[in-house]
Amino acid sequence: MTAQDTIRARARELLESGEVASFVGWEAGRFANQTTPLIISDPADADKLVFNEYCVNTLAKYVRDLVPRGKVGLVVRGCDSRGIVRLIIDQVIKREDVYLIGVGCSGAIDRKSGEPLKKCVECRHNNPVICDEMAGDEVAKDEPADRFAEVREVELMAQPERSRFFESVYAKCIRCYACRDVCPCCTCRECFVDARRENWVGKQNNVAENRFYGLTRVMHIGDRCIECGECERVCPMDLPLMKLNRKVIQDLNDLFGEFESSMSLDEGPEPLITYDLADREEFM
Amino acid sequence: MSVVEANGAAAQVPENWEPKIIAFCCHWCTYTGADLAGLNRMNYPANVRVLRIPCSGRMNPQYVIEALNKGCDGVLVCGCHPGDCHYVTGNYFARRRMMIFKRLLEYEGLEPDRFQVRWISGAEAGKFRDTVMSVVEQVRALGPLNLTREIPYFELPAVPDGEEAFDAVPEEVVPEEVSA
Amino acid sequence: MILNKKNLTPLLENMAAGRDVFVPARVDGVAKFALFGEGVECAFDLVNTTMPPKDLLFPQTQKMYHFDVDANGNYRIHEYDESREQVVFGIRPCDMRSIVCLDEVFLTKGFVDEFYANAREKLLTVCIGCASAAETCFCESMGVDPQAAPNADIMLQDCGEVYRVLAQTPKGEAEVANWAAFVEEGDAEPVACELSLAVNMEGVVDKLEGMYDHPIWENLSIKCLNCGTCTYVCPTCHCFDISQDMRRKDGVRFRCWDSCMFSEYTMMAGGHNPRPEKLERVRNRFMHKLNFFARRYGMSLCVGCGRCVEKCPVALDITRLIDDIGACDVAPAAQAE
Repeated sequence: MTAQDTIRARARELLESGEVASFVGWEAGRFANQTTPLIISDPADADKLVFNEYCVNTLAKYVRDLVPRGKVGLVVRGCDSRGIVRLIIDQVIKREDVYLIGVGCSGAIDRKSGEPLKKCVECRHNNPVICDEMAGDEVAKDEPADRFAEVREVELMAQPERSRFFESVYAKCIRCYACRDVCPCCTCRECFVDARRENWVGKQNNVAENRFYGLTRVMHIGDRCIECGECERVCPMDLPLMKLNRKVIQDLNDLFGEFESSMSLDEGPEPLITYDLADREEFM
Repeated sequence: MSVVEANGAAAQVPENWEPKIIAFCCHWCTYTGADLAGLNRMNYPANVRVLRIPCSGRMNPQYVIEALNKGCDGVLVCGCHPGDCHYVTGNYFARRRMMIFKRLLEYEGLEPDRFQVRWISGAEAGKFRDTVMSVVEQVRALGPLNLTREIPYFELPAVPDGEEAFDAVPEEVVPEEVSA
Repeated sequence: MILNKKNLTPLLENMAAGRDVFVPARVDGVAKFALFGEGVECAFDLVNTTMPPKDLLFPQTQKMYHFDVDANGNYRIHEYDESREQVVFGIRPCDMRSIVCLDEVFLTKGFVDEFYANAREKLLTVCIGCASAAETCFCESMGVDPQAAPNADIMLQDCGEVYRVLAQTPKGEAEVANWAAFVEEGDAEPVACELSLAVNMEGVVDKLEGMYDHPIWENLSIKCLNCGTCTYVCPTCHCFDISQDMRRKDGVRFRCWDSCMFSEYTMMAGGHNPRPEKLERVRNRFMHKLNFFARRYGMSLCVGCGRCVEKCPVALDITRLIDDIGACDVAPAAQAE
């Protein structure tokens, strides 16, 4: 039995027994090798579920909208499961709100190029970190050689080059907020960009305002980022957003000790919501 | 060759350019220290505008970006010495946050001297003066901010009553008995 | 009249003298219409640019006026008119259709948008027909011929090695008169463009009349992220917001693209939001594309360019929606209610 068969069978059972009110997975899209997220509540739809190497979307964020309808069943790989851990730690959902069917993942493939997705090449945890049952076995995957290679690449540039690099990034941004909407860390009830009365960020699209949005988002999610790379994948302008997130993660590691967010439910506080008397002193 | 020329920014430095710097000062220590500097009649450059915040832990990274976007050339954040925070731990959080944020800004191409954080107590009027003077000189050497900001987009004609008016207290907040 | 493809660059160099000519190009990895000039590589191989050409007529951020106070305390308004002579060269027939839609919105029914009207009047459109289509193209289903654009000033039909030149408006004829050095007499047969994607729009507009409360919207919206990608890459989405930047009593009022996908789009001053959830927002977007606009202006607001199909982060596909609407069992009588 393939993982896909198991997922279909279990989804049907869970929905029929009423244990979950809705089930989240993937279905085939219109085009060859395309998949799209699928949310079902009718057991008869379970056969639409697919699982293959073209499942590019991360599903965790959907749970937030679905929990009010009852318990949610969900297929989780490494990235999805860490998203769920994130939502639980951030108290968006509770552990008992979700039923997780884990599945090992060997990395998704870009349907256009046939190459593995960038986010999957860089993935360090391809097997679920949390789940209720596994469909199939865990999958071995090569660890990426250097987690912060792309950060170092930018750091090696001279200062004016770096500012030009990021200015061109912000010049391209159209502020569609897809990076925010897909991110399992971005769960504010009202995002600062939507708070028009406070007017944190202006509505005009220019480098300065786009930088304001970009930097604020990085600071908001920096110590919680699960490195799923979805923001970068969904960006319609292909902006290198993980270069920013990983910079913060790298600095957190250097300054406050090795840390990887959302690996288990009982991890300590994130580096930026705590402190240590012995922290390095740079501002004397 | 002046420092500005060495910096390569000489061509863009307008005549009579003065750096504009915002200092976010913690109410309990640095703001009091600045007050003491004033009481002691210490001289320091008028390029710095002091803004009071309740605690350095209240310092929102967005304030820094907004200040740079809206026309400042440098930002200084000051708070109580670690261990002296009026709210006990505020500056410990600020320390972590600002360490990360400073590195992030430098990563994006901001010169390190343009964003500085210092711990200055209520008694350290001299340190406040020295810090302000050194920040002003460092930013002056760097020249105007080299990041794209909102101001060029704004493209307003000069304020009718001169640039001084913008630097002065806006008339609408001047208490009546003063203006009368 | 025919134009050899080899003559494109010299022709463009000639046209660009004294005017802004916009061509499809990849700028920093983003396919969009860019100002022709030094360092810009024309990308006529692109079936479609990622960013639509609408920002030539309706920029993402557009200054409207600047206000300040004179010595006597009176507010003064200084209007901006930044429109200038522009040429868009290599726009596709689907995007030309989108300009028909935008013209309807900004110039008809008694409402004339000055900013749009000024820019539109100064725009010369040179449309290049499509010899091949992307997998996401479905313009034929939306009534667009991939080798024809009746509203273009000049139509270049792709005939393989050469373009067949058709001057379709007086403005276009005047322009083509200057092309003598680059074109030659003759005729050629346009290459037939094969589209792999098709939808059946028959009855969709009428059916949607009775589908406002249909469960189809619930199923569709549930997977939508509510980002603004589809609206910003859409060549016909034209919603904008007006806001201002102020410094003391001086300020600039500007308008900028807005998206019906955002929660604050419909947020009212008192805090009420008539479209509070994804469901209402997604329904509004697709109803506007396929029904509201058709009712008001007699044409679909979707031109079949396929950009949203291509770019949607969750592959929420308008062509599947149209198919699903077609498959829905809604009695035509429902529309009478």
